Amino acid sequence: MTPKQTLSEAMTAHVEDRRQFFITTAAVGGALVAGFGWPRRADAVEVTTPAAPWYREPSVPEINAWIVVAPDDTVTIRIGQTELGQGVWTACAMMIAEELQCEWSKVRGEYASANRDAREKAPEWTLKNPAGPKPAPTDPRGGGGAGDLPATNERVSWLGVYRRMATHRSGSVKFNLYYYQMAGAEARERLLLAAAERWGVPTSELTAKDSIITHTATGRTVRYGEVAARAAQLQHPHPEMIKIKSAHEFSLMGTERKNLDVPSKVTGQAVYAIDVKVPGTLYACAKACPVWGGDVKSYDFDTIKGRPGVHSVVQFPKPDPGLIRNRQFSGGVAVIADSWWHAKTALDALPIEWAYPPYTHLNTENMRRALIDAIKQPGRVLYQRGNVEEAMGEAAKVLEASYEVPYLARARMEPGNATALVTDDRVDIWIGDQSPQETRFSASQIVGIPQQNVYVHSAHLGGGFGRNGNGPQAEHAVMVAKAVKGRPVKLQWTREEDWSVGTTYRAMGAARMRAGLGADGYPIAMDLRAAADRSAAAPEHGLVPGYFAPNLRVSNHFADFHVPCSTRRATGSPSNVFFVESFVEEMAHAAGKDPYEYRRELISRHTFFFKDDWLKALDMVAEMSGWGKSLPEGWARGIAIDDRRDNREEADVCTVCAVVCTVSVGKAGAVRLERVDVALDEGFGFVNPLSVRKQIEGQVAWGWNDVMHQEFTVREGRMEQNNFHNFPVSRMKEYPREVNIRFFKTHHWLQGVGEEAMSQIPPAIVNAVFRVTGKRVRSLPLKKHDLSWA
Amino acid sequence: MAFSLTVNGFRYVVDVEPDTPLLWAIRDAIDLTGTKYGCGIGQCGACTVHVNGRAVRSCSIPVKAAVGATITTIEGLSVDGTHPVQLAWKEFDVPQCGYCQSGMIMAAVALLQRTPAPTDADIDAGITNACRCGTYHRVRQAIHRAAALMPASLSGSLEEK
Repeated sequence: MTPKQTLSEAMTAHVEDRRQFFITTAAVGGALVAGFGWPRRADAVEVTTPAAPWYREPSVPEINAWIVVAPDDTVTIRIGQTELGQGVWTACAMMIAEELQCEWSKVRGEYASANRDAREKAPEWTLKNPAGPKPAPTDPRGGGGAGDLPATNERVSWLGVYRRMATHRSGSVKFNLYYYQMAGAEARERLLLAAAERWGVPTSELTAKDSIITHTATGRTVRYGEVAARAAQLQHPHPEMIKIKSAHEFSLMGTERKNLDVPSKVTGQAVYAIDVKVPGTLYACAKACPVWGGDVKSYDFDTIKGRPGVHSVVQFPKPDPGLIRNRQFSGGVAVIADSWWHAKTALDALPIEWAYPPYTHLNTENMRRALIDAIKQPGRVLYQRGNVEEAMGEAAKVLEASYEVPYLARARMEPGNATALVTDDRVDIWIGDQSPQETRFSASQIVGIPQQNVYVHSAHLGGGFGRNGNGPQAEHAVMVAKAVKGRPVKLQWTREEDWSVGTTYRAMGAARMRAGLGADGYPIAMDLRAAADRSAAAPEHGLVPGYFAPNLRVSNHFADFHVPCSTRRATGSPSNVFFVESFVEEMAHAAGKDPYEYRRELISRHTFFFKDDWLKALDMVAEMSGWGKSLPEGWARGIAIDDRRDNREEADVCTVCAVVCTVSVGKAGAVRLERVDVALDEGFGFVNPLSVRKQIEGQVAWGWNDVMHQEFTVREGRMEQNNFHNFPVSRMKEYPREVNIRFFKTHHWLQGVGEEAMSQIPPAIVNAVFRVTGKRVRSLPLKKHDLSWA
Repeated sequence: MAFSLTVNGFRYVVDVEPDTPLLWAIRDAIDLTGTKYGCGIGQCGACTVHVNGRAVRSCSIPVKAAVGATITTIEGLSVDGTHPVQLAWKEFDVPQCGYCQSGMIMAAVALLQRTPAPTDADIDAGITNACRCGTYHRVRQAIHRAAALMPASLSGSLEEK
């Protein structure tokens, strides 16, 4: 393009560029088809087989559904997980490359096709976890996850070719490891077969390393790229007999690898769904009733129809809760226009009258009271040992404390959006999605076509932080596009819609904790009760303590609210670990004991699985942080620990993590997080330790935001916060200058690494603030409290 | 209305209403999608571009105010990802989800042009963009690294070049 270029020239150039790009999506019979090239536009390759768009290039056939090796040795690995910043593209590629034995620098990632997944069954050899259907978490084979990953429910089958196309439950390693390893191993064995055929020798005489196959006896070598086309034609006689490595045999996994998506993210070339442009696209901006369960009563299109670029208004119904994990959203309207800004400004000007559901009397205060009432009801008992009430009567001292936490949004950066094209027998949807299989199901239901006719084209996500992070953006987009069949529609929420209407929340919570302390200051009884919305995700996580009391009762209590709650990073733990780790600190204080030593003693008295790993974590973080050493006036350390398990009585995958936060509090009450020390369980070893470090560093900011700034409050049944000015996200100046992370090996598989330090940070900070100010904060966030001290 | 904008050295004529935010002219009319929409109210910084060498939040200035200015977006920083800040970002593997990083990088470049060897305190004061993934630890390290990589020719205001 020349500097003198006019718009029409620029647009022409643009259209031609796009034509080149969108040849990849091959307009066939008027409909766009898959094969979209991610993440770099320049990498797009022409689709030559529209019926099976994942076969990109006949001269470079795939070896199996996950792996394509080009003549120049470039290895394309198809990934069923979505990259949302957690490093999953790199980790999944490493799991495959570990067995493929390819040169790592030749690997590039690509999203697996959710449409192909609906059409093709998983190969038999991907279905068996080598550690068996119910693996012990200490078995170094397989990943320690769900064993033979089951088919799930009527919405989603995990028996399609790409098995589990979901990015949730910290599952990308623990659930997928064995079949990703098998995919790499199966392709490697077929490459060996092709080389063996070429040289007329048995495969047992060959070795494969860094994309080169060597015949040891003669020293002959051949590159993967030279035999890949032949390998694609050969079948392995017994793929189910191929042995994959155990954890202690990994060589690529466990090394620090820079993330494959990073180069595209420093140049602006990475494609998020919001960047997708399909030729002929109309733009939509949508607004749903801000009180969930509501609908549109009326709207006045005449007011806006003369505005520039306006095409139409579409009213869409409440999405079927069955499509969105039984969470209730609202009906709404979308303005369709020739640009998003036209659509957005016209929507702002559109008079809409809402049909409110019967929840407008609800506000934070009366909901809070309902939670506190729920605590007094029987509840769901998670754990019971001994006789708590009797033991309380014998206690030297009974301690009681109540805690509260607010609703929280995930507040991902990329506002909800999706581009959808609906025709009579086909849906295409371009979206960043943590569960493309569920979106495939939703689209098929809304349009009334089989899942085999739905093409979900995955893009990178601008943050996720929870499997339902996407709310009903896919459903909205498909419903709106269905109203203008044959035209692609890019539906994009405003930031305000995304945070206050189109999402699900971490539940509001309240707890009442009681402990009866013996004469030595240690508990003889504990009664731990936590209440939350009934739709809360995993409200049990982190509530059963790793601390011993001979008499213990732990229960969840629920209140029914209309606010849609679901998984937000670390699910129930940030609430429960705040409750438990604050309360044990209060017990230590009441007993006049050091909080680290007190925890250590209570863990030592216990008999639960992986208790030694808890002690290891606690001792390591105490040593790292200089626990007990003097600090300047106004500074203090706080400590907390958890392992992200539901039930500590059973051996299960877990990630033990202990944190010390060093804070300073100014006399006027200004809190600064000065330093964070993290001791993290690495189990048998991480896939990519670099990604893990980045995850922990990010969780430091998350924990800080949770404890310091963030809350969503309800007024007249709707959220009061909707953008960065009233739901702050911390900035550079608040990030601690010192973060130390140390890993320790254990002998079990991990629960995950994307959220394992986050829950400990708020109580560690609150505990440190108490040590400076003498003020015990029992309701978050801290910004609501006067923390001045003299 | 037609407005002439100079972006990354190219002149574009865009046909939009005068109060259309520069962000949407850049993303939707000129089709440079590296600059991101985050908040629309000048808070988060995901839309940061340079206007006459200064980091500005493009969601909050109208197109009419950018006419005649020299505008640089993430795509204009280098043709191949080799601007010192981009190199440092890759060396420290800074981005996670990456959505805010175009704006973060543009803010970092503007900071280094003003303050070629920033202290931690300069970085705290100069980088006000929001990153929900919490990449600040690596952003800070990468800015120090970029300061060391930055040749004298890249310091100083863009508008002088």
